Parts: sequence; structure tokens; C-alpha cells
Amino acid sequence: MPETPLRCAMLALNSVGYRSLALGYLRAYAESDRKLAGRVAFQTLDLEVGLDPWWVAWRVLGLEPDVLGISVTCWNARAVYDVCRLVGAVRPECAIVLGGPEVGPIAAEVLAGHPEVHAVVRGEGEVTFAELLRAICAGGKAWRVDGLCVRKGQEIVSTPDRGLIEDLDSIPSPHLAGLIEALDGGAYLETYRGCPHRCAYCFEGKGYGRIRSFSDARIAAEIDALAGAPHVGSFSFIDPVFNLTPERLRTLCGMLVPHAAAGLRLHTIEVDIERIDDESAGLLRDAGVASVETGPQTVGKAALETCHRPFHADRFARGVEALRGAGISCECDLIVGIPGDDAYDFLAGLRLCLSLDPGVVQSSTLHVLPGTELWERAAELGLEFDREPPHEVIATSGVTFRDLRRAEVLASAVQRAYRARL
Amino acid sequence: MIDFIDVAVGTGGGVACERCHGSAMPAEYMATSELLGLITRAVADSRTVPGPNLALTGPEPFGHPDLPSLVAAAVDAGVSRLRIDTDASALRSQDNAAGVLAAGVRHFRFSLLGGSAGLHDVLAGAPGALDATLTGLDVLRGEVRAQGVTSCLSALVPICRHNLHDLPAIAAVAVEAGANAVLLRVDDPGCDLAAAVPWMTAACDTGVVNGVWAEIEGVPFCLAPDHALHVSDVLRARSGAKAPACRDCRLDELCGGGPVDASGDLLAVLAPPARAGDLAGAVSRARGSVGHDA
Repeated sequence: MPETPLRCAMLALNSVGYRSLALGYLRAYAESDRKLAGRVAFQTLDLEVGLDPWWVAWRVLGLEPDVLGISVTCWNARAVYDVCRLVGAVRPECAIVLGGPEVGPIAAEVLAGHPEVHAVVRGEGEVTFAELLRAICAGGKAWRVDGLCVRKGQEIVSTPDRGLIEDLDSIPSPHLAGLIEALDGGAYLETYRGCPHRCAYCFEGKGYGRIRSFSDARIAAEIDALAGAPHVGSFSFIDPVFNLTPERLRTLCGMLVPHAAAGLRLHTIEVDIERIDDESAGLLRDAGVASVETGPQTVGKAALETCHRPFHADRFARGVEALRGAGISCECDLIVGIPGDDAYDFLAGLRLCLSLDPGVVQSSTLHVLPGTELWERAAELGLEFDREPPHEVIATSGVTFRDLRRAEVLASAVQRAYRARL
Repeated sequence: MIDFIDVAVGTGGGVACERCHGSAMPAEYMATSELLGLITRAVADSRTVPGPNLALTGPEPFGHPDLPSLVAAAVDAGVSRLRIDTDASALRSQDNAAGVLAAGVRHFRFSLLGGSAGLHDVLAGAPGALDATLTGLDVLRGEVRAQGVTSCLSALVPICRHNLHDLPAIAAVAVEAGANAVLLRVDDPGCDLAAAVPWMTAACDTGVVNGVWAEIEGVPFCLAPDHALHVSDVLRARSGAKAPACRDCRLDELCGGGPVDASGDLLAVLAPPARAGDLAGAVSRARGSVGHDA
């Protein structure tokens, strides 16, 4: 008698119109693991974050999973915890495994606070999750898998850290494997992992440190696949800095140019705008880039120092100007509530961005994310924030609770007035 | 931060407190040819970024017989944002609302004198005025949704001794009408500012808790120390009379001051705020007039 495959449900609660790349990677890697071949049956539930957790639990339980893997971000964490509680109550034999930037850095805390969760993956998840499935198929002993925080009896055990995946191409492409539905405007690619910056509020680099890239051949194949997908006229990249180096920018743009000529458009590409000149703006234009996203996040001197962010107003303005000249809309992002700033620093940033007429000005409230320097130094910096996700800042030593809320409302009004144009 | 050049389409008319200002003079509209020249020059001469942005003000612009030509001239001249200051009664006609949006107007400013028909209509001297305004704005919002455009509604609240107690209710009406900003402007030199400030700050708070920004014009910092952002002058320059005591205040250069009346009753309550120096530096920074280290 062949053994009954382990039923593994994989759940993500995404922003509207998006699909989870993380789930795609996890599933693609696990499905390529020969030791799991025929032993695990995967089902992906790519749902939206606004859904009632009770109905999400309904969908999950309908799959009768033995394992439930969930990708957790600060945006979906509250809903995820609700789903876990419901699934845990109805199907306690199901091993609930969480991973992602919201839970990895505070894995033990998450396990302690959510008794229905069996394990939390720390850091890069592909290899760890596959090995955990192997362990479950073999009858247990998850605490022998590196990169986990897991229950061992009544104890919570952190296993040794797992090293980074050296060869990213060893992770099969979920796009090429057909594991992610290619949605127009909602599909995105990752060409490397890591981030060259060390901004104190950001977990974009996920603590990976150095930059590791997928191969050019892999990236080109994914671009071809997405650009050739039916009904896909635009997509995006999630790389923290698209113009990482001039050479890389030329290479990527070169891959995109033929598709751009056929009508493909790219949106919300994140760029280091102070390194954008007329030439690189031209490359982006020819690659079909319609809009980019960039800082400055803040222009306050103290906040910039606290966050280790360089900012040169002249270079920034030149970058915006170059993009405008190339017909590319630029979204200038600001964060209200960065320690070191007061409300007037935030308004100075708003004023500066508007004075450049970049196309879009967007402000958001600081989220003090697990794993970031601000999370670690919050007390020292006088930063009060909500320990519950999405971890919004409550007050700082420079801005009161009420002035933070005022700044949010003021910024929203100004942004709307800016957007309302011919 | 987003400045508009005002072009008055004539004289007279407008929404103002009849008890303070008496009956409005009849509207007299400027000749179309003259206005076309004004509009074209204003847009061409504008160096405002982001912009150029133009507001048609004065007596009710919808009363001008050639409003479509005026709007078209602004659009042809290359205006980025075009605002009409209106009592919105003309927008009760769906054709007007649809037409003005299709022509390119995205910003609308309406005036509120009271938070109820009872007060607004009496002060405006026009029975049914508030209902007409709110109905017009409702039709406009429907057209905005239908056309899928981004518009910006703002409310102007001229403050006087006759409506200051009603300011929170007025802010609530503005919120309900879809405004995303409220400008509270002191419009009564005889108004007791010290007594008015609690009503103004309550109106600001009403706006904020409903996600609508409210800004106070004509009040010095020292009268609203806990609401400095609402009077901080970081959005645009204000004007206003100053009390002699203001000369000793480090905020003097930045602060619009208040409309001090001849008797100088206000002087008794004016005193530089305790952290005037800090606030002066902060506001200067936000206005970009002083470097980070100021």
C-alpha cells in the first residue's frame, strides 16, 4: 500500500490583486525535493488580507491539512493569528508553521503567544520548510531542523541558524513552474536578495547581509515568461534597489527592451534616485518603466543619522528631474514618526517633495518592524510603538501622539490636493 | 504647499456674514476678454511648483456667463490645478457638475457660515442656502465617482462672533459634505480671539478625528500652543495684523498674528509661547527658509 501523502496547505493573505511570491518559492523548492516526491500533496491558498478570518479558516479546513504553512507580514499578521486560533481549535493535529518577516525575527515570542502554532521558520525559508516537511513525514523531530523555532514538548527550542542559500538558482522559479498566477499589474519578480542599505526602520534586506543574485539566464527566462503570459501588460520588481549598479541596470534593461517595444510596462520599480542621471533614466524609459518609487523617507538631519540614510537634496532633485525628463512618474515616499524627526521635519520633507513635482507624493506612518534596528533600540530612542502588528508608531520623543495623527491627516490632505490635477 | 493664484471674476457677491458685513453688494462680473487676458498672464507668469495652479474667485463663478471659456482658457494656458470657489448651488445641475469636471476643474472650495441651516442661512442672508450647497456638493461627488477623477473639496469657514460657538458643528458638516480640508479664517476684527480659540481648536480636532485637515488662519501661535500645527503657517503664508507684543516674540517673522482691533483688547492675552525659540526653528525648517542647524 502506498503511504497517503501528507496534505500541506500553504496560505497567504495578500494585498488585493497580488499573489504571494514567498509561497511560490517555498512550494517550488519543496516540490523539487526528491525526498518529498510523492509524499506531500500541496495546495496553495492565495487569498486577500481583507477576508474574514473565519471564512479563511473555512477554506483551510476544507483542505483537511496535516500541515499549514503561512507567510506572515506585519499587514496580515492579525488575521493570520485569528486563522491559526480557529484552525488549531478545529484541527489540533494540523501542524501550523509560520514564516516571513513578521515572525522570523521574534520566533520564540510568537510561539509563546500563540500556543496553536507549532513552529516558526527563521530567515530564508525554502530549505528549512522542505526539511521540516521531511521531518514531519518521518514522524517528527522537527527540532533537528536548522533555522526553526519549534515546540519540543512544553519547551520552545531554537535550532541553529541556517546559512544563506548560496546559489539562488537552486530554488526553482515559481513563475516558470506555473505555481503563481500571472496577474496583470500584480505579478512581480525578484532578481536578488539582500539590500545594499542598512536603514534602521527597514527589513527589506531581511538581515541577509550581502547581495546574492539569481543568474542572468534565470532572470531573463522569468521576464520572458511573465511578459509572454496572457493578459499581462505590466508587472513589477520587488528588488530593494533596481539600479543596484550601472552594469546591472544596463543588463536588466537590455532584457526588458524587446518586451517594452511590444508594449510591456513596469511600475513601482524602487530606485536609488540619487544615482539616476539622464542616461539611466533613458535606460529605464526604454525598458518600459512607467513609474518608480523612491525616498527620501525623511529629510531631517537627526533622523537621517539615526537611520543611517544618506540624503543629498541636490542629487535627489536631479534624479527626479532626469526621470521627469524621460517621462517616468516618480513616487516620493516619506515616513512620519522616524525618531529624530519632529512634525516640522516631516512637513519639510513633504514640502521638498512637492517642490520637485515628482508625480506622486506618498507618506506613511512608521512601522517598527521586528528584526529592524529601530525595534531593538526603541526604548533607547524614546520610541513608543504598538507591539501588536502592524506595529505603528504611537509617539516619539520628538512628536506627540496627537501631532503624529495630525501629521498623518495633514499629509493625506496635501497628497490628495496634489493628485487632483489635470 | 500647493499654492493657487486667485483670479476674481468680478466684484460683490460671495458668502459672508450679513451681520458683520451687511448685505452683499450685487455681483458685477468682469468682461470676458479682460478675464481671459488675466488668466493667461497669471498662468504664464506663475513660477509655482507644483503648478501653475489657478483659482477662480470673487462673486459666484458659475454666475459668469462665459465660465466655460474662462476654464478652457486656463486649461489651454497649461494650468495644472484649477479651482472654483463656489457656493455649489449651481452644481445641483448634473450637467454643470459633469461639465465642469470634464472641462478640467478638480478643486472646489465652498463656504460655510454655520453648522445648521438655521445659522448658515441666517448669516448668509439666503434662505435655503445651506441645503443648496450640500445638494450641489452631493451631485458633484456623484459625478466625480462617475468620471473616475480625483477631486479635492475644501471648505472655507469665515469666523466671526456670530458663528464661533458653532465651529465644531461646521467642521462636522464640512466632513459630511466630503471636504478633505477645512480652512478656518478669522473674518471679524472685533472677535474675541481668546474666547474663539477653544471653538477653533475643537473644530480642528473634529476634523482630525474624521481624517480631515483643518487649518486656522488669523490666530497667533501663542493663543493655540497645543495646536501649533494647525496655525503653524507651514502650508502657506498668512497675513494679519500684529500686536506690539509680537515684536518681542521669536515667532514674529513666521506668525501671521491675529486681526487685532484698534482697541487692542487682545494685547492682554498675548505672550510669546514658552518654547518660542524651538518653534521658530522648527517652522523655519519646514518652510525651508533656514537650514537644519538653525
